[in-house]
Formats: sequence, C-alpha cells, structure tokens
Amino acid sequence: MTHSNKEINRLTPTNEDTVGPYYPPSLCENNSMDMTSIRSGIVFKPLGEKITIKGCVKDIDGKLSNGCLLEFWQPNSQGVYYRADTESHEMVDPWFTGYTRHRTKDGNFSLTTIKPGTADGRAPNITVTIFSDGIMRVVTQLFFADEKSNRDDPLLLSIPEELRERLMINKISDHKYEIEIIMAGKNETPFFDDLLS
Amino acid sequence: MTKYGRQLGIGPTDNTSNERTPRNKLNLIPEAARKSFVPYAPGIHGINLAEADMTRIAPGRPRASGEAIKVSGKLMDEYGRPIKNALIEIWNANQHGGYTHDEDHSGLPIDQNFLGIGRTLSNSDGNYEFWTIKPGAYLARPDIGRWRPPHIHVSIIGGSSRLISQMYFPNDPHNDKDPMRILMGDNFKANIGKKYNVTANDFDCGYNFDIIIGGKNPTFFENDIT
Ligand SMILES: [Fe+3]
Repeated sequence: MTHSNKEINRLTPTNEDTVGPYYPPSLCENNSMDMTSIRSGIVFKPLGEKITIKGCVKDIDGKLSNGCLLEFWQPNSQGVYYRADTESHEMVDPWFTGYTRHRTKDGNFSLTTIKPGTADGRAPNITVTIFSDGIMRVVTQLFFADEKSNRDDPLLLSIPEELRERLMINKISDHKYEIEIIMAGKNETPFFDDLLS
Repeated sequence: MTKYGRQLGIGPTDNTSNERTPRNKLNLIPEAARKSFVPYAPGIHGINLAEADMTRIAPGRPRASGEAIKVSGKLMDEYGRPIKNALIEIWNANQHGGYTHDEDHSGLPIDQNFLGIGRTLSNSDGNYEFWTIKPGAYLARPDIGRWRPPHIHVSIIGGSSRLISQMYFPNDPHNDKDPMRILMGDNFKANIGKKYNVTANDFDCGYNFDIIIGGKNPTFFENDIT
C-alpha cells in the first residue's frame, strides 16, 4: 500500500498490487520446491542437513489459501547468503543458492532444503514472502523451535514474546519439520514491514 | 522509534482480501535483521531478447490479434537512482480479457498467437521496454458484477524490496470502481501508464510506466552482471 513520504526529496514508491489469481507458474524456473538440487542428475550436493518442511498457508477462517505465490530465501548451512556481493566468498556453497519460489495450487507446500546456519548474529531462519490474490505482499521469517540461538535473535526479540512461537518451524521427526502460516485473525502470523523499516 | 509499520488495507470487494489481509499492523524490522529480508534471485541469466515481445509466440510467428502496444519506463529507487539489471516479469490477459493460465475458467476466447507471458531486464540506465497486446477488461466476480479494468501485471526482482504491481490504462471506465484502485487512493495515478505516440512501424502506441522500488535495503542487483 502507499505510505506517507516523510523525506521530501524521496520519490513515492509505485503501489504494490495483487499478484492476482493467474500468476503463471511457468515463470518459476524451478517449481519443484527442492533447493538441494539446483542441477538435476549431478552427484554434487550442498553441504549440511537436508530437511523437509511441510507447511500450509491458511486464511482468517482456517481455510487453505489457494494460488499463493511463495518465495523462500535463506543462507546455506555455513550461514552465508548467496548474493551478488558474496559470490566469491569461500563459504558460499556452489550447490546451494538459498532462493526458490513456488505457486501453491491449494495452499499446501513442501519445501526440501538445507537447514540454514547462523548468519550475522541471527538465529537460523528462512525468509518467506507471500503474494496472493486479494492482498499485497507480506513477508516474515521462520525460525526453528529447537534452536537455542532464538533467545538472542534481534528480530524475535523485537516482537512480543507471545508472538514468537507463531514463527516457529516445529520438528516432527528426524529431518522433518512443519509450519502453519496464518494470514489473518486468531493466531495471525507476525509479518514485517520492509518498506518502512 | 516506532515498533509498528503499515496497516495493510482490505480491498472493498476483492475476492479473498477480507480472508487474507493481516489484521495486525506490520512489525518494523530491527536494523540488525534488515539486510536478510532482501532475496537475491540467481539464475536469471539467459533471457532471450524475444521474450520481451509478447505480441508473438516466437520470432517470425504471426502477430496476436488486438492492439499491439509498447510499454517502457525507468526502474528507480526512492532517490531516483536507476536500478539496473533487474528482472521484470510480465503477464497480461489477451484482448478479450482471457488468460492462458490453466485456472482461468472464464471461458473467454484464447488467442493461439498470444502466450501472455514475457520477461526482460532493465538496462544499465534502469530503462526497460517490452511489447504486448493491450489486455481487455474482465469480469472478475460474476457474483457481484465486478470488473477488473485492463491491466498488465509486472513482477520486479532486484530492487531494494520485492515488488509485484500492475499498470493500468488512462481513462478506462472500469478504473474508478476497482478495489485495488480504491485502496491506492490518489496515488493510483502512479500506476497508470502515460500514453505516447510510437512513430515506428507496426505498433499502435506506447505507454510510459516508471517504477519506483520502495524500501531502504541494499540493492544487490546494482552490481553488474558479468
Ligand atoms: Fe489480472
């Protein structure tokens, strides 16, 4: 949405708008939701613990939110993000970019990835951006419930304690996790404002 | 420093807006965590130049029916600095308002010569251009008779924040009742393409659509792609 422009010399950002119901899945280069296999059929694999996170996006009525575009972004197992400015970093994993996107048809998703490491004083986390018909973009970060470093994470510390558990990915068995993202209403997932922050 | 950012608005009649719009204000991101909110999407190389011409399925194929238009503009951050090498993905309905998407069950005619999907990159000055068929309006909610005005969807990866937006057309009778337009208020004008004449051969006209990417995060794509 629009926001007031406090600094006079700044341009007003273009309004965000809904992704609509017809975001073409074919624009997602890799709709497989497997971040551990950027080149299929190659023996090289990324370092770290391969995990699967089963999740869903629900609306205010507890119904699955169909047709959402989901984007995931995370550091590798060493805690290093793959970016233009880190491409030649010695800890960058050439077999892991940490970015994928997916259009979920029915609101469920299953993300296969590498458990993120600790980056820049942060607890391991995965950034999730959601675009959907009827709304603008929302963005948040998901954490792992069994990580001690959550106690010192600046983002978790910035929100009320009772909301922190809503950002937790829970372990259900070895290498298997789950998370429920609630767009609105009771138990609403905390979302963040990256335009005003 | 305030703790809360924007309160997102609920689109008055938009399908799923009431169900999916967060009721709580967005939380501000502390400085120590801000950088981690900017995804860098690798693997955008290898764009075929022909992908920017959506008026044909492939070079040399027949032109899709309808009004062929050019859309061009500049990608900038809030300080007016060009955002170069950013990925722009585009999708729009055909002249009848129909999408090639497999979940579009409107029954509107499909044009075999119009895919409705394109990609391009902004150049080193932040400028971009693509060519498409002017989309038709479509009845998005037959149950309440709500139309969507003609619009072109754009997705930009590479600015200081992720952006998905839509370009609308000037003076369209459906514009004023559009729920997204109502949410945007006066700033809706920023999302209307400005019409200009195209002297070159076979395009009917052009629309200028400058795109300002908000947010204070670093813009990784300002680095040159080599
Ligand atoms: Fe649309």
